[in-house]
Amino acid sequence: MTRAAASLRARVLVTLALLLLIAAGGATWALDTLYRDLGLRGRREVLEAQVVALIAAAEADAQGRLVPADIADARLATPGSGLYAAISGGTAPWRSPSMVGTGLEFSARPAPGERRFEDLRLADGSRVLALSFGTRWTTATGGAQDYSIHAAENLEPWYAAMARMRARLVAGALLLAGLLLAGLQLALRFAMRPLRRLEAELAGIEHGRRELLGGEWPRELAGITGNLNALLAGERGRLERYRTTLGNLAHSLKTPLAALGGLSEAAPPEQQQALAPHLQRMQEIIRHQLRRAVLGGAGPTLADLAIGEPLEQLRQALGKVYAERRPRITLRVAADAAYPIDAGDFLELAGNLLDNACKYGHGEVVLRAGPWRQPEWRRPGLILEVEDNGPGIAAAERERVLQRGTRADESVEGQGLGLAVAREIATACGGTLEIGATPAGGARIEVRLPGR
Amino acid sequence: MRLLVIEDEPVLREMLATRFRAAGFVVDAAADGNEGEYFGREYPIDVAVVDLGLPGRSGLDAIRAWRAAGHGFPVLILTARDGWQEKVAGLDAGADDYVTKPFQFEEVLARVQALLRRSAGWAQPLLTCGDLELDTRAQEVRVAGRPVELTAFEYRLLEYLVLRAGQVVSKSELTEKLYEQDFERDSNTIEVFIGRLRRKLDPTGTRQPIETLRGRGYRVQRPAP
Repeated sequence: MTRAAASLRARVLVTLALLLLIAAGGATWALDTLYRDLGLRGRREVLEAQVVALIAAAEADAQGRLVPADIADARLATPGSGLYAAISGGTAPWRSPSMVGTGLEFSARPAPGERRFEDLRLADGSRVLALSFGTRWTTATGGAQDYSIHAAENLEPWYAAMARMRARLVAGALLLAGLLLAGLQLALRFAMRPLRRLEAELAGIEHGRRELLGGEWPRELAGITGNLNALLAGERGRLERYRTTLGNLAHSLKTPLAALGGLSEAAPPEQQQALAPHLQRMQEIIRHQLRRAVLGGAGPTLADLAIGEPLEQLRQALGKVYAERRPRITLRVAADAAYPIDAGDFLELAGNLLDNACKYGHGEVVLRAGPWRQPEWRRPGLILEVEDNGPGIAAAERERVLQRGTRADESVEGQGLGLAVAREIATACGGTLEIGATPAGGARIEVRLPGR
Repeated sequence: MRLLVIEDEPVLREMLATRFRAAGFVVDAAADGNEGEYFGREYPIDVAVVDLGLPGRSGLDAIRAWRAAGHGFPVLILTARDGWQEKVAGLDAGADDYVTKPFQFEEVLARVQALLRRSAGWAQPLLTCGDLELDTRAQEVRVAGRPVELTAFEYRLLEYLVLRAGQVVSKSELTEKLYEQDFERDSNTIEVFIGRLRRKLDPTGTRQPIETLRGRGYRVQRPAP
């Protein structure tokens, strides 16, 4: 789970929101077009019906004018009604009374039998749909006269209705999309709940609040969680077994080694001298290799170790071991100082640092411990500083001191073996150990273990 | 001084017992935790050397049992696991110091002597009572700066009394702590040794370094602090 990748929920939500917008927009456009086409067809049919009615009612009068005998539709007789008709051609045109003052002019003169639709405008700017129909009229005298029959309707009321309709359509589509998205959100939350629980439980394991993932999981996750649990349990068990086995091995090798040492003391001096380096070497190989083998380091499956208590145990233990010198060991440990490190490794690390400070200092030992924070870490590291008031370690000696005992064939007497061990542990945790000096010249060891 | 060794490895146990006896200790040796715990509880032990990797009852258990029963004698642990985890566990259970295996016997002896001295309230390896000086490391005795030659038993007797300077030590306590269990015990022998010790330390009879409290025992004066 890297931070750079978008969350699953965001991916699903963004994709679905886009799809919904496209679907709603498309549906709205299609519905709008359909409604508009249907509406316009209806408007045209109205005009055609008017034209047919006018032709049916028309009669040529003596002056050669074609006029409707009676006006069937009352709207044609009402000024400003929105329905207009006219007959042009012949000696003079006829206009329906509703056309008075509208400024409407029919200019189209289609050939007989031809119909032509036009978009016109009234004087006040209202849009009007007009139909002109050409007709040839046989007069009583036997001649033929061409007329144009016109009908028109003001479309503004219809446009207004269309706009209202469109607004309702868009609002409906948006509402539907919103409801769907909200529903999706709920569905996702429900579907993602096991994932979120998995995340929380993994965090719990990271922080050492729990050992394994618990309970029932959905079928899709059961494989992962089962394997994770097996992995966690396996790793813990394996580390534990390693340590026990190696501890037993150390015990069963060292006790006979001690006995051999004891027996050799009864031998003549030249044999003792011949045996001693071999015994010493075996002892160092066992010590060094076994210690390396059990180093746990800092792993993601390790629980956070609150370091206050082990440090206090070490303080009391060292108080006994160095009772002769009555060292004053001061612990300054931040209340939240904790680190995911194996308890044995931590005791070994801090024990060696404090032991060294007690051994080579002059009775004043100060240990400071606190979290080491870096912005890119989700969890802090740990800084340990141990200072003593002894003669310190000369700058030229420092690297050599840290190399001591790291090779099995080297002599390991004297200062530094503890520091070499401590550095091995710090390195296994991905950290560093630096030897410095206090202002008064004592040794100052700083261990930094990185966070994650 | 009466010393208890608990060690399951026979060669090592024998070696420790022999060397401690040679160094003037009365040694009880046990091969496992149960026996050792019993010895520590029932015998007048001054110091115990306990191996932590014992079969049966662990060394830690034995130490905890002694401490719970109120036995305060110092305990030195021998551990093959030289990690601080084991050391801390041992010291936390009530042990007073540790030596990791394999070890030089001299190291173990020095630690045991230091523990005995500390538990008797002496901070330094040089015990001084007036003009009487006892160097517990070199096992040398000086009176007013002049070395005094003592036999091993005489030295042990004097060391026991000086370590408990200011306290009255009974004859029976001395026989218990200075003789192996199956040796013949005769309180007259102690009187004889005290007499020899007095003549060697104080040939003129003017200093009187060892008091006799009739019917109670002997006492070396504790120096004024």
